[in-house]
Amino acid sequence: MDLTKNLKIESVCRLNMSTPVTLSPRDSVRQAVAVMQQHRIGCVVVVQDGKLAGIFTERDLLKRIVAVGRPLSLTLAECMTAKPVTVRSSDPIGKAMRCMTEGGYRHLPVLDEQDRVVGVLSVRRIVRYLVEHFPQTVYNQPPDPNAVQKDRDGA
Amino acid sequence: MICPNCGHDNLPGAEECAQCMQDLTHLDRPSAQDRIEKALLEEPVSVLPPARPVTVRPTETVRQAVQTMVENSVGAVLVVGDGGKLLGIFSERDVLNRLAGLHDQYEELPVSHFMTPDPETVSADDKLAFALHKMDGGGYRHLPVMADGIPQGIISVRDILRYVSQLCFE
Repeated sequence: MDLTKNLKIESVCRLNMSTPVTLSPRDSVRQAVAVMQQHRIGCVVVVQDGKLAGIFTERDLLKRIVAVGRPLSLTLAECMTAKPVTVRSSDPIGKAMRCMTEGGYRHLPVLDEQDRVVGVLSVRRIVRYLVEHFPQTVYNQPPDPNAVQKDRDGA
Repeated sequence: MICPNCGHDNLPGAEECAQCMQDLTHLDRPSAQDRIEKALLEEPVSVLPPARPVTVRPTETVRQAVQTMVENSVGAVLVVGDGGKLLGIFSERDVLNRLAGLHDQYEELPVSHFMTPDPETVSADDKLAFALHKMDGGGYRHLPVMADGIPQGIISVRDILRYVSQLCFE
């Protein structure tokens, strides 16, 4: 189990991402927010004519709507992140991870060879991959490494 | 499970050798298989290093807290009370799940209404694997780094992944 090697050779499609939740650019921010709350996800994919048009993330909601007091009735076309950075399902997981840390992205749309969106890779899924990779190491961490009994047991 | 002292073949998981009473517990401890795993297991949170936390007071309004997040380009602010005591954390996820579309006029309400109170924390000496475990278990992207009940820093999932990336590609 060589994690360094696996990050370079295992591809993103191995991560069994759930099918992406997609909306159209004409849908409203209100709809996007409802979908994100319902599915407990941090972003929706905006698709037009079967092609990726953009993504709308919780960061977009914060910066482009809430912070500037714009209404939830705006369309996604007006406030989504257009042309987001993407990865291919055949790309190695390590490449996707580096892309996220360098760009500060928490979600990357995943495209197949025909440029169709097949999933969204979240930073949370990468964390899960790391933890799954060496469950023995991570899960054997004590719940509180600083737990010290204040009083002696017994007499 | 062969005793390294006397060579006696013990039952797997035995705590001491049935023949020579040698302590065998160390044989069952997880050992790192490669560089990244070793680093996560042995290096403390302080190597990242943690960023200085961006803080707000519980009485500040949601509007002020959101402005602070945008101006500092952070995804979460710590809500601290008197003496710098940590009361909660307010993140983008809270804006999405507790505010957007659910409240009218929330901008002028105090941030303490919508923060996540008593968040999970780590200390600077905790190992990276421990922090990663907490993030995975709770789905947290930020963990305050505490010393004596006061938040001294904050780490994000991005900090840990950046560290792993550097180890992987160096």
